[in-house]
Amino acid sequence: MRFIQILNNSDRVRVVLLSAAMLFGALGSASAAGLPQIVHARQEHFRMLGRTAKSLRDQFGRSRLNWTAISSDAQRLERLASELPSWFPPGSGQGHGVKTRASAAIWKNPQGFAEAAHVLLVRAQGLTQAAARHDRRALMVNARALGHACGSCHSRFRAHGSWW
Amino acid sequence: MTAARQVRVWDLPTRLAHWSIVSLFAICWWTAKSDHMQWHRLAGYGMLAAVWFRLAWGFWGAETSRFGHFVRGPGATLRYVRKLFARGDDAAATPLGHNPLGALSILAMVGLLLTQTTFGLFAVNVDGFASGPLSRWVSFSTGRRFAHWHAANFDLLLVVVAIHLTAIGVYRWVRKERLVPAMIHGRKTVHGPVQEPYFAPRWRAVVLAAGIILCVALIANLR
Repeated sequence: MRFIQILNNSDRVRVVLLSAAMLFGALGSASAAGLPQIVHARQEHFRMLGRTAKSLRDQFGRSRLNWTAISSDAQRLERLASELPSWFPPGSGQGHGVKTRASAAIWKNPQGFAEAAHVLLVRAQGLTQAAARHDRRALMVNARALGHACGSCHSRFRAHGSWW
Repeated sequence: MTAARQVRVWDLPTRLAHWSIVSLFAICWWTAKSDHMQWHRLAGYGMLAAVWFRLAWGFWGAETSRFGHFVRGPGATLRYVRKLFARGDDAAATPLGHNPLGALSILAMVGLLLTQTTFGLFAVNVDGFASGPLSRWVSFSTGRRFAHWHAANFDLLLVVVAIHLTAIGVYRWVRKERLVPAMIHGRKTVHGPVQEPYFAPRWRAVVLAAGIILCVALIANLR
């Protein structure tokens, strides 16, 4: 923990990228037998992400925000964002005999994907902090930034856009 | 052969609604393809307003725009189709406003556009952030279902648009009727005695448009 604290921002990014690369290596390639389960689990994770983001966003229209629910959603989003890189072991994308919208670009450009995942995590952390401070304005700003992080990742690493 | 003369057929509100729908359709298509959902949502509100207006103008608008004026039963439509490619110019086969086949096209188009915009109001994207203004009242999975129906209905719309454009081409090259300029300047060349249609006063279009814009703005703010 102390090691992380003494690093500057660019070093932290490098550490995260390295960690992501190590995680990919540790998980190894998705075996053919486990591939459908891996893809299914990934889709369930993304459904949970979407459901949580919608639950959070639905709160915004209310005159009185439910900060307990918002904090819980924000924390879940942060946890899912931190786990996201591990949902993509090599060999679990398109072209491996299983129906998925995970583009081959994820494994062709692992650094780009790790950076996109890191941006998502940073935005999710911003959301959690805003929720902890009960800062409505910061919450909206971070939610919008998180939405952009999702969209920009989908445009680069998802075979379909964000709608289908 | 009676001398040809120009007759006003389409009023300004009908033409504005038509070309608004055409341009908004292109904008909605492009913004969805390029994932510009903020713009897609705005264009969708515009489309909702334009379609509602065309629907309302089909009841309270100009004679040639009213559904009661141009929607015909199956018998009349079949008779029209038989006359369509018959030799000689049969004035009776060319109604002043929409012909019975065009009526089917309009019903399909307005129906599908209404369905499309309604689905869009409830649709939720895959990450749960971009969504229609009424998606708050449905669950994430229901919102996703609406998004998929939104996509499937768009394919149907593309088919209807393709048929519509083909028909315009057939009328242009086979029947020598130029439908597109008529929808731009509002006049058609006619032969023989034709009674000028009734046109609703402009203030009615303004009041209807204002009411519809207000309703759409209220829906947009329900989010």
